[in-house]
Amino acid sequence: MTFNDRIFGVLLIVLAVAYGWGASQFPEPFGGAEGIAPGTFPTLLAVVLGLSSLYLIVRPDPDNAWPWSRTGVELIVAVVVLVLYAMLLEPLGFILSTTLAIGTLCWRMGAKVLNAYLVGAASGVVVFLLFNFALDLALPLGLLSFLEVS
Amino acid sequence: METLGFLIDGFGVALAPHNLMFALMGAFLGTLIGALPGLGPANGVAILIPLAFSLGLRPETALIMLTAVYAGAMYGGRISSILLNIPGDEPAMMTCLDGYPMAQQGKAAEALAISAIASFIGSLIATVGLILLAPVLARFALTFGPAEYFALFLLAFATLGGITGKNPVKTVVAACLGLMVATVGIDSTGVQRYTFGTLELYEGIDFIIAIVGLFAISELLFFIEERAGGGKAKMAVNKLKLSWADIRNILPSSVRGGILGFIAGVLPGAGASLGSFIGYTLEKKAVGKKGFFGQGDPRGVAGPEAGNNGASSGALVPMLTLGVPGSGTTAVLLALLISLNITPGPLMFTQNADIVWGVIAALLIGNFLLLILNIPLVGIFVKLLSVPPMYLLPCVTMIAFVGIYSISNTTFDLYFMVAFGVAGYVLRKLEIPLVPIILGLLLGPEMEKNLRHAMDISDGDWTILWNSGLAIGLWVFAAVGLILPYIVGPILRRRMKVATAATAGNPEGD
Repeated sequence: MTFNDRIFGVLLIVLAVAYGWGASQFPEPFGGAEGIAPGTFPTLLAVVLGLSSLYLIVRPDPDNAWPWSRTGVELIVAVVVLVLYAMLLEPLGFILSTTLAIGTLCWRMGAKVLNAYLVGAASGVVVFLLFNFALDLALPLGLLSFLEVS
Repeated sequence: METLGFLIDGFGVALAPHNLMFALMGAFLGTLIGALPGLGPANGVAILIPLAFSLGLRPETALIMLTAVYAGAMYGGRISSILLNIPGDEPAMMTCLDGYPMAQQGKAAEALAISAIASFIGSLIATVGLILLAPVLARFALTFGPAEYFALFLLAFATLGGITGKNPVKTVVAACLGLMVATVGIDSTGVQRYTFGTLELYEGIDFIIAIVGLFAISELLFFIEERAGGGKAKMAVNKLKLSWADIRNILPSSVRGGILGFIAGVLPGAGASLGSFIGYTLEKKAVGKKGFFGQGDPRGVAGPEAGNNGASSGALVPMLTLGVPGSGTTAVLLALLISLNITPGPLMFTQNADIVWGVIAALLIGNFLLLILNIPLVGIFVKLLSVPPMYLLPCVTMIAFVGIYSISNTTFDLYFMVAFGVAGYVLRKLEIPLVPIILGLLLGPEMEKNLRHAMDISDGDWTILWNSGLAIGLWVFAAVGLILPYIVGPILRRRMKVATAATAGNPEGD
């Protein structure tokens, strides 16, 4: 099967065209005496990318299998956890969000639930203490801000 | 003699107590990272860069620490090769061949000690080579004009896929993608490019975020897919019985391996994998029928280990002198230099002499530290190998988050990092190499600047790009570098596979 490279090649050509079109829209700088304009280098890149993507479509490599089904779901779960981690880092605070994120990741990777969240909590607390006291860098406390020593 | 003076000054920098402390810490962390399967030197250095930043280290201290991490990771790769038959990273693959059989024969301690000594000798030879070669190359590089630099960057991209790389077109695609990301932001004439009016993009995309995402996050996703975490029986480590005769036995192998490795490291595109491979095969040839390679010959451990470590120090030569890295990890170190506002390349030897020579001296000191760490303390690293990856990798991911967050204190960068991680996963699936992307990100602005300068000089005449003998030479090398993998690559890859399959398929090998 050689679909991967073909599909990717088509997507890349779309990207190359869009990118090259973008390059043609850049305004010429005042004077215009310069050897190359802001769009020249991007145009070169668009051409090279377009040509090599054509090659990928014509001469694709054999495919690697994609993890459909269960593993695919696990991967999506992992990405969602990471995005949520980024979202919750400030409102929940570092310790709570780390406990949840690390715990969930460990658990989904096959650790026992209790162990997973214990590891999450422990690593969150240790890193928080290390950063806030040893390294003097403030990580957000979030919901736990009532613990703050003032 | 001038070099010697600089080197002595360099020792002055490297031996400052806090630099020494960070070198020790880096060496320890590096060995740890290298020893754990799944975490290579590039990953390790990538994750620690944001931390080095948030610690607010001085440039030379940050560089010394991360160089020590790099050297340490190259030392550490062998530990899991010998004890688990799982190479910590690709260059450590050849060490499995004789290292694991030695461990099976109850000589794990000897194998670990021999590999540590060989690593030390390999690194030492390469560091001396670096001291001798780097200033010469830097002086030569000072004659480069913008056109030559432009061609040199092309050469770097062309050879980065490496001789063992698979599809050169994919290297080109990867380089383009990296360069395209590098054009985001406000260019030197003040024009906004591809920012879509987003304020956060005006300064461009920080390559540290891209690097950590591409390496660390995609590694996590790959691990989830493969779930390689299943416990493999670990070899017990016996009490060390190493005589002078044993050391003398491996000495010539280590020296040969180190020299070969250094050459492989300096040559663009060859790198540590090739260093350890030729270190092993030539050792086999040199010893001939008297050896028992593949069945636990100590020289089969020493050769590739010396080659591997020699190559990793050798790869620093083009990185420091030309600003063109020869491997993934040196690309990450280059990112560090650029973000410390140090322009890598020949001028660095005059403008930032203290930093360059401090790092080189630190590399020498680091090797001694690593030897001391690795012989008596190897037990600690062995114990740490039993940490299950299912706990380890999430924690490493968190460190990546903390590091990136503490640079800017905004979560905006974290989303970008995750996006780069997902992209890295997809690209690795498609066998698009990640290192040219990183290199594109790093070199993009410089490349465009040199193109602009060349055009300014020639008044818009493109032929200036191949107008000097030197430039033509670089173009030819670039073309060869791109075409050679087509011819030599399959043969080399097959040989490496045959060599490793011989032990992997061995019924006693598991």
